Amino acid sequence: MTRTAIAPAARSFRAHRRARVRWGIALSAGLAIAVVVIFVLSMSVGSVTVPPLDVVLATIGSPTEKWHTFIIYELRLPRAITAVVVGLALGASGAIFQRLLRNPLASPDFLGVSSGANVAVVAGFVLWNLTGYQLSTAAIIGGFATAILIYVLAWRGTVSGYRFILVGIGISSLMASATSYLLTRATISDAKAAMSWLIGSVGMAKTSDIIALAVALVLLLPASAFLGKRLRVLELGDGTATALGARVTLDRLLLMLAAVILVALATAAAGPIAFVALMAGPIASRISPRADESIFRAACVGALIVQLSDMTAQHLLATPISTGIVTGFVGAPYIAWIIIRANKSGAAG
Amino acid sequence: MTSSHSLEVADLTLGYDDRNIVERVTTTIPAGEITAIIGANASGKSTLLRGVARLLKPRNGSVILDGKAVHDMRSLDVAKVIGLLPQSPVAPDSITVGDLVSRGRYPHQGWFARWNAEDDKAVGDALEATGTAELVDRKLAELSGGQRQRVWIAMALAQGTDILLLDEPTTYLDINYQVEVLDLLTDLNRRSGATIVMVLHELNLACRYADHVVAMRSGGIVVEGRPNEVITSDVVQEVFGLSCDVMPCPRSGTPMVIPLGRHHMAEREAVRAG
Amino acid sequence: MVTTGRPPAKAASTAAEPPRTSITKGIGLGGGLLIGLGVIAVLAFFSIALGSRSITIQTVIDAFFDPDATSTDLTVIRDMRVPRTLLAIVVGMALGIGGTLLQGVARNPLADPGVMGINAGAALAIVGGIMLIGVQSAGGYVWFSFIGAGIATVIVYGLAATGREGATPVKLALAGAAVTAVFTSVTSAILLSNVDVLNELRFWQVGALSGRFMPIFWQLAPFLVIASAIALFAGRPLNTLALGDDVARALGQPVALTRTIVFVLIAVLCGASTAAAGPIAFLGLMVPHLARFICGPDYRWILPFSAILGPILLLACDIAGRVVAAPGELQVGVVIGIVGAPVFIALARFRKLVEL
Repeated sequence: MTRTAIAPAARSFRAHRRARVRWGIALSAGLAIAVVVIFVLSMSVGSVTVPPLDVVLATIGSPTEKWHTFIIYELRLPRAITAVVVGLALGASGAIFQRLLRNPLASPDFLGVSSGANVAVVAGFVLWNLTGYQLSTAAIIGGFATAILIYVLAWRGTVSGYRFILVGIGISSLMASATSYLLTRATISDAKAAMSWLIGSVGMAKTSDIIALAVALVLLLPASAFLGKRLRVLELGDGTATALGARVTLDRLLLMLAAVILVALATAAAGPIAFVALMAGPIASRISPRADESIFRAACVGALIVQLSDMTAQHLLATPISTGIVTGFVGAPYIAWIIIRANKSGAAG
Repeated sequence: MTSSHSLEVADLTLGYDDRNIVERVTTTIPAGEITAIIGANASGKSTLLRGVARLLKPRNGSVILDGKAVHDMRSLDVAKVIGLLPQSPVAPDSITVGDLVSRGRYPHQGWFARWNAEDDKAVGDALEATGTAELVDRKLAELSGGQRQRVWIAMALAQGTDILLLDEPTTYLDINYQVEVLDLLTDLNRRSGATIVMVLHELNLACRYADHVVAMRSGGIVVEGRPNEVITSDVVQEVFGLSCDVMPCPRSGTPMVIPLGRHHMAEREAVRAG
Repeated sequence: MVTTGRPPAKAASTAAEPPRTSITKGIGLGGGLLIGLGVIAVLAFFSIALGSRSITIQTVIDAFFDPDATSTDLTVIRDMRVPRTLLAIVVGMALGIGGTLLQGVARNPLADPGVMGINAGAALAIVGGIMLIGVQSAGGYVWFSFIGAGIATVIVYGLAATGREGATPVKLALAGAAVTAVFTSVTSAILLSNVDVLNELRFWQVGALSGRFMPIFWQLAPFLVIASAIALFAGRPLNTLALGDDVARALGQPVALTRTIVFVLIAVLCGASTAAAGPIAFLGLMVPHLARFICGPDYRWILPFSAILGPILLLACDIAGRVVAAPGELQVGVVIGIVGAPVFIALARFRKLVEL
């Protein structure tokens, strides 16, 4: 650190900035710890309760009792990991889409990326009897194809956020219509299986899905953090961003690509779990008013929502239900809260 | 220091969709001075500014910065020299003043570069120069129109460019805030020799604050030069279609445009005669 | 979003009272409406004549003018195709008008009944009806879905109308999304636990006119026709509302009251249509844009044109679904989706058409 004379204005701003950075780090650490704690807890509860410490010991390979290994490794660990990776992916991609398109409703649920995956999976089920990883592949291809279609159709020299959202809504309605049609063509058992996929649950992920998603996260979360710098500029509008030297079209394309990969893989693993991507970003920025927005924290909040929803889904009722059913219930009060908040601040126009 | 950068517009044609809005405009922006672009609505003045700021691709001609066409330069390099405050800038709902202003440092930060003392200084100076230092923790959405505009200017200042473009920085501000903003820009120009180019609606303020005015009509430049020399009632008639008297301001000596209109003038004549 | 400086300058091109349409233009538009009625009549005839069972024109004429004639063909016509056609006409009219009202009152070119939670409400009520009482036919669903749609609309509007500014377009969209989320969650939970319900609902969900018999028409037609008739008088208030709440208030319109009345009409029109034919996406979205394209921004013309264009589109798509997939048939909801999505995307790409 050079100790040259610093102007008072610079010094006071530096203090302000450092305070924000410290808050940010503290919050990120807090959220990460919360994710880990819930991760352990979610493996601890169930038909047989395994004390948290024993869960940790079993996970790292030195169980206190032999049967712990079976319960943890075979039954609970896959589900717990899925909840974390799916939640991280949905949270990060939702936050990227919302900030990039400057619209709190612009999550992948509303923009047709997951609806494309839906059609592909239901078609795979009903028309070609695909199973297992073939369905995951179908979901990824469907999600990507839809994303590309939306991007191309929204392209007129540049991609404007507003047009992207409109085209996304149109495409997702078309996909919903196609999905309903396919459901009427299916046998009732296929329809039921397709329906449970459409609602989404972390319980149905396959090991290959989890690995693919985990690899994507390891690569894309740091990449998104880098791109986050550009996002901070892009969300000020094309004009300001261009003047600040951002390559608006390229940067936006890269960010969307990262978001689409994450959401497509997450959907392939656990189905289109509703509202997680929609809620994670705004909640993350709401709990950290004293720090800059961060994709990492949005991802952590996404993970927490999925973890808690899945724990509720598994243990609240006598019979376990799908994770997606619970997230819908969580989503509604959240949106109602947005409306009430908008009323208070008077900025609801 | 005085701005050492030269900015020229050469044979520039700009447009949207199938229409050309600015047609074959050529001019040189005087370095280290305040230039005001004036003209009626749809005269192409904002479009010209947007073209200079690279928000529009030229259909013909080019914008030349230090002898190089800006559209061929690396975007980040241009952003270190030319800053822009758009007409209606947008920001996320809950952004704070400090956060917004520090985003102006984007062109000075590479992929891996960390925030350093120079960045702190630039942001601190920008906040101080605009009198927004005590607002750093406030949310942008909670501020008054005048405060908000000062914060946006602070963001453009934090960018640390020698040339600053502003698209109607005073529109929708109360008259006291309009003067405040223009005083602030003049301070900036006097202190650091920054070149300032702005689109202005208010003719009298443009005459008062600009060293150089560019008057536009239907996509072309009608006249440009020192306000004292070029703003005449004939020019105002031609550019705005407004009959007016132009007389020197008793305080500053800059031209003052007094619209004639159809009423009240005859009465004054009568009073004078009686 | 925080914007500084210029507030969004809404196009002021739509004047409060659009200049009195010149007589020639009035005659032209009036003629257009008459031609539209003619097109409906022709389509209605084809809708009765065409289908998986080919029926001669003579038989169709007999069905109407010879009350004593009996044959399988006549039964098909009287019991299946006539109600289906009549239903297509009233549902098309109601959805066309309902969509126009919704876009007008929400000042949102993208508003459609699905967005307002109407479909989710109807679906939940039907699922509940099957679960609790075991209703098993399209005829039995009707009242459930009507009530469900109504309840959803009331909740959406109630949620959006809280606060100082009342039900602004943004709050309506959010409230619609919220209500849809909860209702869909409950519906999904039931569907996964009960195969019979899933089996019923998946055929309702796609949106179809087949298998609807005369009693359904008689149950719902009064609501649809009366609400449509009242809605045709909403042109002037909608024209004023299109200028924004402040201007509308300045022009002396009771904004909150107007909005409430229009919403009641929307709830009846869209709720009853959804009850009759299931959720038919896109019709309510598309028709107002087509009407606006033909007759400009004056709601006094847009409304009657919507009332004509809705049945034309619905009949045409229903016939197309029968012809293209013969001897089976493609549900009208699917056909509309296939036709509607490209139209909608084209509108989004050429934004000038979308602006209200």
